[in-house]
Amino acid sequence: MASLKRLLIANRGEIAVRVARAAHAMGMEAVGVYSEVDRTALHTEVMDSAVALGGRTAAESYLRGDAVIEAALRTGCDAVHPGYGFLAENAEFAAAVAAAGLIWVGPTPEQIELLGDKVAAKRAAVDAGVPTTEAVVVTADSDPRDLPLPAMVKAAAGGGGRGMRVVTDRSDFRSVVAAATREAEAAFGDGTVFVEPLIESGRHVEVQILGDHHGNVVHLGERDCSIQRRHQKVIEEAPSPGVDAATRERLCDGAVALARGVGYRGAGTVEYLVGADGTIAFLEVNTRLQVEHPVTEAVWGVDLVELQLRIAAGEELPFTQDELSPEGHAVEARLVAEDPDAGWLPSTGRITSFHIDTAGPIRVDTGVGVGSVVSSEYDSLLAKVISHDRSRDVAVGRLGRALRTAEIAGVATNAATLAAICSDEAFIGGTVDTAYLDEHPEVVHGVGATGDDRIAHALAAVFCLHRTNRGADHNWAFAPSGWRNVATQGQRRTMSNARGTDASDSIQVEYVVRDSAAGSLTGATVAEVRLGPFPEPDDEGLLGPDDRRVARVVATVSEPVGPSERRQVSLELDGISRSFAVESGAPGVLAVFGTSGSTAWFQQPSFAEREATEAASAPVSPLPGSVVSVHVAPGDEVHDGDLLVIVEAMKMEHRIEARATHTVAEVRVSAGDKVDAGTALVTFAD
Amino acid sequence: MSSVLNSRLDVNSDAFRANRDAMTALWEEVAAQLAELPVVGGQSKVDRHRRRGKLLVRERIEALLDPDTAFLELMPLAAACTDDPIGAGTVNGIGIVNGVECMIGGTDMTVRGGSANPHTVAKGMRAFEIARSNRLPMISLSESAGADLPRQADIFVPGGAQFRNLTRLSAEGIPTITVGFGPATAGGAYALGMSDYVVMVKNRAFAYLGGPPLVKMAIDEDVDEETLGGAEMHATTSGLADYLATDEMDAIRITRDIVEHLNWRKLGPGPSMPADPPLYDPDELIGCASADVRVPFEVREVLARTLDGSRFEEFKPLYGDKLVCGWGSICGFPVGVLANNGILFSEESEKGAQFIQLCNRTDTPLVFVQNITGFMVGTAAEQGGIIKDGAKLINAVSNSGVPHFVLMVGASYGAGNYGMSGRAYDPRFIFTWPNHRIAVMGPKQLAGVMGIIARKAAASRGTEIDEDTLAEQTGMLEALVESQSTALYATGRMWDDGIIHPRDTRTVLGMAISASHSNEVSGTGSGEWGVWRH
Repeated sequence: MASLKRLLIANRGEIAVRVARAAHAMGMEAVGVYSEVDRTALHTEVMDSAVALGGRTAAESYLRGDAVIEAALRTGCDAVHPGYGFLAENAEFAAAVAAAGLIWVGPTPEQIELLGDKVAAKRAAVDAGVPTTEAVVVTADSDPRDLPLPAMVKAAAGGGGRGMRVVTDRSDFRSVVAAATREAEAAFGDGTVFVEPLIESGRHVEVQILGDHHGNVVHLGERDCSIQRRHQKVIEEAPSPGVDAATRERLCDGAVALARGVGYRGAGTVEYLVGADGTIAFLEVNTRLQVEHPVTEAVWGVDLVELQLRIAAGEELPFTQDELSPEGHAVEARLVAEDPDAGWLPSTGRITSFHIDTAGPIRVDTGVGVGSVVSSEYDSLLAKVISHDRSRDVAVGRLGRALRTAEIAGVATNAATLAAICSDEAFIGGTVDTAYLDEHPEVVHGVGATGDDRIAHALAAVFCLHRTNRGADHNWAFAPSGWRNVATQGQRRTMSNARGTDASDSIQVEYVVRDSAAGSLTGATVAEVRLGPFPEPDDEGLLGPDDRRVARVVATVSEPVGPSERRQVSLELDGISRSFAVESGAPGVLAVFGTSGSTAWFQQPSFAEREATEAASAPVSPLPGSVVSVHVAPGDEVHDGDLLVIVEAMKMEHRIEARATHTVAEVRVSAGDKVDAGTALVTFAD
Repeated sequence: MSSVLNSRLDVNSDAFRANRDAMTALWEEVAAQLAELPVVGGQSKVDRHRRRGKLLVRERIEALLDPDTAFLELMPLAAACTDDPIGAGTVNGIGIVNGVECMIGGTDMTVRGGSANPHTVAKGMRAFEIARSNRLPMISLSESAGADLPRQADIFVPGGAQFRNLTRLSAEGIPTITVGFGPATAGGAYALGMSDYVVMVKNRAFAYLGGPPLVKMAIDEDVDEETLGGAEMHATTSGLADYLATDEMDAIRITRDIVEHLNWRKLGPGPSMPADPPLYDPDELIGCASADVRVPFEVREVLARTLDGSRFEEFKPLYGDKLVCGWGSICGFPVGVLANNGILFSEESEKGAQFIQLCNRTDTPLVFVQNITGFMVGTAAEQGGIIKDGAKLINAVSNSGVPHFVLMVGASYGAGNYGMSGRAYDPRFIFTWPNHRIAVMGPKQLAGVMGIIARKAAASRGTEIDEDTLAEQTGMLEALVESQSTALYATGRMWDDGIIHPRDTRTVLGMAISASHSNEVSGTGSGEWGVWRH
């Protein structure tokens, strides 16, 4: 049996940190690798040492198997853990690792090869008696008459949803298969595709298996990953709330049989789609640690990475199937730097705030912290947030609260979406399938703060700005805020959740400070606040009745701490107090974190951004000279940069161009005319 | 400074309550007028102004100021107790723009079309003087219909100084910014012409020496307003406007940008003492002063609620004790305080003169707290040299170089007003409490003196005096003088820079003192002689 002393972790982000933690717990040294972008990343920091791979993209760094092996050899490592993604399911790499005299933490190259081919895997599954539907390899020229409809077309070498397409009409078969083939060819270098019956309203259920070098195989139950967005898992849990004991037994037994059949070594996952009618379709085997492995760990009380390492070292599994029993429910949410409000666009930038309350307890696996830079080079996973409890309701509720109260700023995240899912009745009821997010678009944008909660969030931002403004007053800091001896209006602020947004979602606040922090024991600012649109005169010049809500606000705002100028704010709105943390980014941009969620606020500028001075509306001759040519006629619409007139002066031709969109009202000159400097050449109607 | 004033004020006493109630009633009269001020031109005029898409003058100022900062409007009740509208149709005050304390002025077009009356001119002159003496950049939010023509005789000649003042400010290195929001005709056009920076609002601002009708009359030229003096013409052709603003808010944005590039630096020192609030509640100031100026009160109770931390190092406490002198600080600025605790005798006068000299040696600004019915009269006083001793005080006040600030908390009668740096002695600012009374002497005394003179005259003529007529005449005189010595009457004449609520005393003095530190703060220097011990 080998003794592992130093482990090379060929990955980045949260999984690299996670694997290092297990290695350290076993007394091993952890050696990392990093790209140029990740030089100061958290995963680089937690390692005992780390080797520079150079490069920016994955292809230039973490996908360079030879460089990774060289790094392991250079640092005297005895084993390589690939994490997930990158080289984790690359049989060639696994073989090269072994060839270099290193221990590969994972199944053999042959097993990776076999199970990585979806068609071969399916055949092996069928041979082992794994419950599944039939899969048929097809080409665009195949006869679609026997096709079970609707059907799913998949890439044999695929994964992650790429190359997957649905056929609902036989006449579409040819084009769909052709497209899937092209996509598979481009993505995986292998255009083989197959079809299988589409299971609608299916649940994604997967079984964790472990096998050792001694022929022992156990399963650690199933995980349910039905909450997906475009085949990307969003929330996972164990056990599945949607399979009964009989189905569970079939799934687990099948997984164990398949693993035994191939002599599987290490940790792996057998994925199924389970239809509402109980139909089971074998999907694939993942020959690596899954992102969502923590839910299994929580329920089964094991450390899967530790077990992977022990298996790799040649140890026997420390338990038999009979000795294992699950306890309670675990739920995991994937917190990603993607903005659901912006079509899930990846959000990049420097993380200025990163705090997730771990009370409860809550497990947080992350590869980032304050100061981390989220780049577009790698995947957008920031953290996995996991809760575990005897009661599924409590586990879900605790996870929801951790997500609502998560304080993350600098990049946009899906925290509000995840929190909304956790409070959604359908999810809590455990009846959702993989179409959930498509059918519940309302949760995508998150529930977040509404009503007075949202107003309190806005006011927390407003009174932080207020405090900043007072702190910036180097002349009259002693004076009460906004003091007037002739009172007219209060201090006005317009806050909105997006920069330059239309007024529809903005909150207009007008306040008069009655008592300010100066000298008061509690440091509280007491203000009379008017909420609602500022009175604007109508066509008659009348302001009309002011029917804005009048509220009493008591704001206690702490001194700012740290580079993000974090302030603790207690905000009492009409007798109800709420606590927030508020951080400032650029001037007038604030992130408010509260128990009902977090919100971003942009102070709308009082003055429109403009060019330094207004351009003169009528084009004039710059110098005394003569008109060479006229290029517009009354009624023409002209745009910025359009040529209007050419004037010759001082032996040079001057092009007179429009500076904005206008309609020409009058052309005052014609070719040959003498003009003075400042003579209007053309006038506009607007 | 370790000495701290110890208040003996009993807020539950009948006297305090009576004073509080009386002061509150007086303040409510003031407050009612202040509340009326923003719409003093009449609601229909306000509506018409807004209908034209224009901001009210105070809305423009709100937009101009740094958010959450204070604005000290000066002489808000100018022309009170006169036939002219209160406020005199303009707004003047000190506010903070991009971190710079500026003198901000603006025309209220809703008040008689923004036309100037003699009070408008006087208020404008006073604003210039405040900007000049305290070295405050001047921002004028201008639009005007010109002079109130029927009253041109009272305006034309003195009014000319405003153009001279603008360029004199500029010559002294004090920036002047004029923002044209509307018409500026004839002389008004020179308000733009004489400024360092001119911003004009497109399609709104006009400036010409003569408008289209006058041009037609004078040289028979038909011309439209825009061609003759529109903002765009001035920005592109005449060069009068340095900046062409799209609209009013754009003009305010540009003005803030201009102030930002001034790279303004105050010449006086910043606050150097702890600026902790007084130990005693400033709200209690409302009951500190006697509502009836004939009833004396302890002025140290005012100081205990005005000075930082109620700290006060008293000078010569055992000598001339009816003039309380000493050092303290207001909002962190060190000050020397002279406060009346009774009438001025020779000792008080000499003590004050000595104290003023000492403060000049240390460049310490002076705060005069006036509650003075005058210098002592009578044989003993005269033979004791009250005239020459009073002259020492007035001499010291007149020739003092440090900034003076005057707070009127009661009477300001006779030469006491002069000895305590009254308006004619050019203090930087004067603020009054609502109970303030100001006159050559108390109305009753004045009427009594007139009665005695009448009797004497009758006696010398050998005629009988008609007691009823005399009583009626002196009564009327007393009532007249009484009505002319109220705080509202005084502020209407701009004998001061505004009536303030007593609780705002420290805030207002703090802002005024801070603003004065835009200029150098220096006393008379070492001079020819040492400090005289009188």
